[in-house]
Amino acid sequence: MIELLSPAGDLERLKIALLYGADAVYIGGVNYSLRANAKNFSNEEIKEAVLFAHSINKKVYVAVNIVFHDENLNGLDDYLKTLKEYAVDAVIVSDIVAVTKAIKYGLKVMLSTQASPLNYEAIKFWQSLGVDRFVLGREATREDIIRIKNETNASIECFIHGAMCTSISGKCVLSNYCTKRDSNRGGCAQICRWVFDTENEPFTMMSKDLNMVEYIEDMINIGVNSFKVEGRMRSIYYIATVIMCYRQIIDNITNHTLTLEKKNYYKLVLDRVANRDSIPQFYNKFPGVNESYFQDRMEVSNQDFLGIVLDYDKENKLVILEQRNYFQIGDVVEFIGPNMEPITYNVSTILDLDNEKIEVARHPKMVVKLPLNIDLPKYAMMRLKVFDKNSDL
Amino acid sequence: MKKNNLLITINQIEDIDKLKKLGVSNYAFPLKEFCVGIPNTFLISEIPKEYNSFLFMNRVLDNEGIDKLKVILNNLPSHIKGIIFDDLGILNIVKDLKIEKILYLNHFNSNVLSIKEYLKYVDSVVVSTDINKSELDFILKEIPNKLTVCVLGYLQAMYSRRLLLDNYCTYYNLKKENGLVITSNNEKFFVYENEYGTVLYHLPCYSAMHLDIPYSKYNFINSAFLNIDDITKFIKGNNPRKTDTGFLDIDLIYKLKGENND
Repeated sequence: MIELLSPAGDLERLKIALLYGADAVYIGGVNYSLRANAKNFSNEEIKEAVLFAHSINKKVYVAVNIVFHDENLNGLDDYLKTLKEYAVDAVIVSDIVAVTKAIKYGLKVMLSTQASPLNYEAIKFWQSLGVDRFVLGREATREDIIRIKNETNASIECFIHGAMCTSISGKCVLSNYCTKRDSNRGGCAQICRWVFDTENEPFTMMSKDLNMVEYIEDMINIGVNSFKVEGRMRSIYYIATVIMCYRQIIDNITNHTLTLEKKNYYKLVLDRVANRDSIPQFYNKFPGVNESYFQDRMEVSNQDFLGIVLDYDKENKLVILEQRNYFQIGDVVEFIGPNMEPITYNVSTILDLDNEKIEVARHPKMVVKLPLNIDLPKYAMMRLKVFDKNSDL
Repeated sequence: MKKNNLLITINQIEDIDKLKKLGVSNYAFPLKEFCVGIPNTFLISEIPKEYNSFLFMNRVLDNEGIDKLKVILNNLPSHIKGIIFDDLGILNIVKDLKIEKILYLNHFNSNVLSIKEYLKYVDSVVVSTDINKSELDFILKEIPNKLTVCVLGYLQAMYSRRLLLDNYCTYYNLKKENGLVITSNNEKFFVYENEYGTVLYHLPCYSAMHLDIPYSKYNFINSAFLNIDDITKFIKGNNPRKTDTGFLDIDLIYKLKGENND
């Protein structure tokens, strides 16, 4: 089975990722994951996450991938036992102590990219300990993946979308020096995106983001088992959009309906939702000067995400929508959602909660009603219509 | 600091006699094609036969690198006493070799249990330089006479497979020269690149030479970018250049205190 694996920073993101097409999500608990300062999941939330995912035949993997200091080992055994009790589908680890303990407690173990395995002998070493799956280092080339697959027959997971570390993962302590936060215990402050002074031009080393749309079919053909999207800190709109695109790409490949036009459409949508350039990175060539940013962060944000559907009033045929960005009468928007094609919609009427007509939805998180004859599911989203999928097809 | 358990990387063959006179007897030779961030590397054939010689390899290897290394290890001369390495793929292929194996998994091995796991496969483990002194003391006490401790040298702050210096110089049309000093937030680093990647080293040089480090098996000196005169002074107990103690005296923040993280 080809797995689409999504990040989820909290329960809402988790539900959206799974509903929009992810086969599995990876999350972090309050302790031991490499996003120490994200909201993360309490134990109770992990339990709820697993119950939700399993109820729709999907999976939850929990990152336990810090580099442990002795003081961090207190509580690790209890935590792993709890994860086993909750029936999480696997833990993602990088430190050998977490590997051996997780296996001892009967958990399925995935090796984190933090361990940066890039050769078949490293994979064989971890296989000998009982590791089930391997998130390859992001520097792995197409040929590296093929050789590793051939030599080990391991289950391979590769990143396909999102931000890249400039460093080999796990080999960077710039945050330790510059902010005194421990990067290998979740404190990465993205120092590789800073601008450094020199006696000459300012020094930067920012990598552009990763985007593998062009190579998904090839990756499937060479035996990659799981396609991982980066970004546990990303917004619900980003996750919904990226997961929906890759879900459709994978499904189109599987049923032989992926056309060049569709691929181009997905690329446009993905480029629009990210605020940085994205490229294939190491897979097809060695990234050089054109694969990096210089001078400063070149990020362009937009306000495409207009609202999230809370409910649908069947009796009155009204979409109940929570506003996320300004929109007004006359805007041409589209609804996207789980298992549905985008629906183009001209905003001609906006009602407030008292059913009074208003011209503009201007306040963040205000709830409005929009007339629509289609029963939209909860978690469907409204966005500015920028690209026309159908006209491009 | 004791001299007989110093293990030092070699910059130039001529330095060995001077080190020997100081009582140093364990030498590590950075192996050509298997190192990053090190200016002087050696072919096996260039390593003198009359010393306790270790091979030093700090690259994260791809499949091609592993294949090349297998050929080298299959024909390993008998004067090679041991091997110091980062990549766990190397661990897998040297497990059964009758040489001394030292795992230097940079930025890992910060706790007793992880180190004990790796000691099932190797003779010694280099303790992480990202821990503080009390953590180091605790680990050494729990695993006496087995571990290797970094005591001198520039510490890697970052290792990238990308050619960061090359990209920078290409973009700005500058002449490429290794050693570019970069600064941010009052922290200073220098950039060194070869075809296998780029290393950012923290400035100033790290030194724990003044500290009492009991229970270690080896005290490791990475001599890259240090000259023999300075190394000699360090070993004699002097401090010829500005140094710091890395993270030995710093309590790094594991988690910021906040509503979700208390």
